[in-house]
Amino acid sequence: MRIDNSKEWHWLAGGIAVSLLSVATYFIFASIAGRNYPFGITAGFGYVAARIGAFFPALADNPVIRRFGDKPDAFIELFILVGLVLGGYTASRLSGTRSAENIPAVWVRYHGKSILKRYLFVIFGSIMLGYGAALSSGCTTGNILQGWAHLSLGSIVAGFCFFAAGIAVARILYPKTEGGNDND
Amino acid sequence: MTTINILFGLAAGFVFGYILARTGITKYPRVMGMLLLKDFKILKFMLTAVISSMILFHFFGDLGLLKVVPKNLDWGKPIGGLIFGAGMGILGYCPGTMAARIGEGKKEAILAFFGMSAGILVYAITIKPVKATLLSNELNGDIFALLGVNRWLVIAAAAALFAFVIRFVDGKFDDGRRVF
Repeated sequence: MRIDNSKEWHWLAGGIAVSLLSVATYFIFASIAGRNYPFGITAGFGYVAARIGAFFPALADNPVIRRFGDKPDAFIELFILVGLVLGGYTASRLSGTRSAENIPAVWVRYHGKSILKRYLFVIFGSIMLGYGAALSSGCTTGNILQGWAHLSLGSIVAGFCFFAAGIAVARILYPKTEGGNDND
Repeated sequence: MTTINILFGLAAGFVFGYILARTGITKYPRVMGMLLLKDFKILKFMLTAVISSMILFHFFGDLGLLKVVPKNLDWGKPIGGLIFGAGMGILGYCPGTMAARIGEGKKEAILAFFGMSAGILVYAITIKPVKATLLSNELNGDIFALLGVNRWLVIAAAAALFAFVIRFVDGKFDDGRRVF
């Protein structure tokens, strides 16, 4: 059913909406978790990692596993992840923008339709994403949407490094682009 | 306490996911287009959010209604940042948009979900040497204390800089432009 008939939202509308969400959640987070936790994503994945890590006795006293397994913010962020899935689902349903795409169409055009090749990139890329986010204590949400807004020195450095490495990798993967018509 | 945590997480995530999906931030060509410096919609979206929330955070902070806790600078920030950025380039989206993409029906994102969790598990396994080297020294992340100037002067300068970047890329690159 197509209820949301608006075109893709403008960046200004989307940006202001996200800023209101991130400030509002800061207040709510503080009142239910008892301290200031900025709105984030990484700790939700950390919670999943901690649950998996619980199967390994050698990790029982690991500080990272304990931090993500015990603190309330990781538990809340796990449900932020579930909410993100539901939000993405609802948006794609209501706006009629759902597609059956598995591997990105642009990837297929430039790197072939081998599922194995793409999945190897997905696995390596996402493991690096997890490791990097844990080491720099935040992902794009925590370090840029929150950290840059706080003007935290650590987040400013981390955010610039996100772009620097991302730009370098993108140039290696797509040394030349054709300016064609794919835009999904 | 647990129920309210769950409900709050679900609601906040839902709104975030809806905004990301409807603004087109979840699209692979958008993320790669930004990293190729050809499609700047995501950058404009992020900097708009940063300017707006920066002013709100510090305004409410001055009123004593919330407390911003700055993240300190250690070697984990640049090294972890570079690893994260390379991963984002290889994958083509970031952790938040990954979850929204699962909802949009892009199946490979489910694999990425477990890959990201595995990455944090690897981090946990390596925490001992990492802590001893990269995280042993840190610099206070409070930029206002560091610069020693008025807080709102720094905020105004940062907002002006971000707004200039938005204007610059907005005038030069059209959102509807095809990159690939």
